[in-house]
Amino acid sequence: MSAVDLPMPASSDEVPFSWLRVRTVVRRHGYVLLRSPHRWFDIAFWPVFDVLLWGSLGAFVAQENGVSRATTPYLLAGIMLFHVLFQSQIAVATGFMEETWTRNILNVMTTPLRESEYIVGLAVGGLIKLVAGMGTVSLTAVAFYSFGLGEIGWGLVPIIGVLLLVGWSTSMLVIGLLLRFGQSAEILAWATTFTILSVSGVFNPVESIPGVIQPIAKVLPTTYAFSAARDLLDGGGIPWADLGWATLGAFVLAGLSMLYVLRMLRIFRARGYVTRYS
Amino acid sequence: MLDAQGLVKAFAKVRAVDGIDLSIGAGDRVALLGPNGAGKTTTLLMLLGAITPDAGSISLVGHRLPRGRSAAMGEVGFVAGYLPLPDRLRVREALSIFAGFYGMRRKAGDAAVDKGLERFKITHLADRMCMELSSGQRTLVGIVKAILHDPELLVLDEPTASLDPDVAYRVRTGLLDVAANDGTALLVTSHNMMEVERLCERVVFLAAGKVVADGSPVEVADAFGHGDLEGVFLHLAGTVVAEDQIEDLGALNDEGVPQ
Repeated sequence: MSAVDLPMPASSDEVPFSWLRVRTVVRRHGYVLLRSPHRWFDIAFWPVFDVLLWGSLGAFVAQENGVSRATTPYLLAGIMLFHVLFQSQIAVATGFMEETWTRNILNVMTTPLRESEYIVGLAVGGLIKLVAGMGTVSLTAVAFYSFGLGEIGWGLVPIIGVLLLVGWSTSMLVIGLLLRFGQSAEILAWATTFTILSVSGVFNPVESIPGVIQPIAKVLPTTYAFSAARDLLDGGGIPWADLGWATLGAFVLAGLSMLYVLRMLRIFRARGYVTRYS
Repeated sequence: MLDAQGLVKAFAKVRAVDGIDLSIGAGDRVALLGPNGAGKTTTLLMLLGAITPDAGSISLVGHRLPRGRSAAMGEVGFVAGYLPLPDRLRVREALSIFAGFYGMRRKAGDAAVDKGLERFKITHLADRMCMELSSGQRTLVGIVKAILHDPELLVLDEPTASLDPDVAYRVRTGLLDVAANDGTALLVTSHNMMEVERLCERVVFLAAGKVVADGSPVEVADAFGHGDLEGVFLHLAGTVVAEDQIEDLGALNDEGVPQ
């Protein structure tokens, strides 16, 4: 037997949050983005085609039926704001999935990188992608339909804040599912936001959604955010009630999603699921 | 350095690790050995904080896990022969990213990357994509990744699995150099008993999730009545063939097959 001395210095177990490590996460995913042309589809390709699709549909409906010319701005604002939600969510979710696809989770878990630093890094990287994506979308909308989200006015700021928070929260739910169920849950990364698209009245008032689904729509913070955007487009004052419910709902969702992902992380560690990716 | 007491881990009804105690001092070179399913990798992953034990305690470089995982990882490096590095990154970029995760600023990290690549004589790989590396190159780059921050303990899971003997030799001599010159302790799992005898001064044999032997390679081999660790391994794996059984098989050809 070898004699073993066991010095146990009373050093702190706490490691302060490090923006250096956050920046490193952003850099890591920046390299991936540069080397992965297919990732640019989420930023530059789909958003442009969504704007063309919904903008053209709005213009056609307005022209054929003589309905309010507000149809096109409704649809364009809806799809552009939806992309705020979608891109903030998909950037974080696919950022995590990149680690599973490249079997890099164990490498990452055996560094001092904290979970919070990793998530903030993915979110910051996602914001950069979002700015690029929204820039593309905005240019397309202005060029083809003379519409900019600026028409919503200052009320746009809290609406975007709510959508970002919901997008990040949804990505936490997706990551939690990936931790618990493995790569079979990947499809949910895309499915969750499109479910929100269909049930939260992105383009239309919640009253036009089938009655059985309306209760679901009414508990989603996104429903109130999109409703507030339409009110603002109509030239009304700041819809404080809608914005208040949207903000409250977004924070509740953020809290619940954090609790969920932390619970799934505990299960991930307890059941040794890291071996799925090694 | 490392003190684990009473580690237990069960998956469903299988008790993968069943009350393991393991202590490692500064600069020790220790091998964790045992047949497949003995609990080696599960033990390593618990020691690294990647798997939570059902019972027991772990103190790693002065930090209690799981609370001190992040702090402990700043003093520990990990390499696994089966783990690739991020495949869409060049070697230099990937190593620079890990240097950042270890808390090194860009300039210091890049200097550590250059030093590590030179130390293992793989500077020519710096601009290669990680996905293009052979398994041997990947292992060498993985070791550079794990020593960027001058860790106190280097944990290696099957570092030379499926490597050619010349690459395995480079890995082994590189690790001995790190241990000798940096004072880094090594904790290694391997199925190559000759390699372990050359690399480690102490071996801990696991079987069915328990420690069944702990000592120098010679001590452990003697304790089991075998001339070397391979005999101990075969004994524990239940595949050792008694000499009288061999006689019953008759003469064997050069490949050990009955004629």
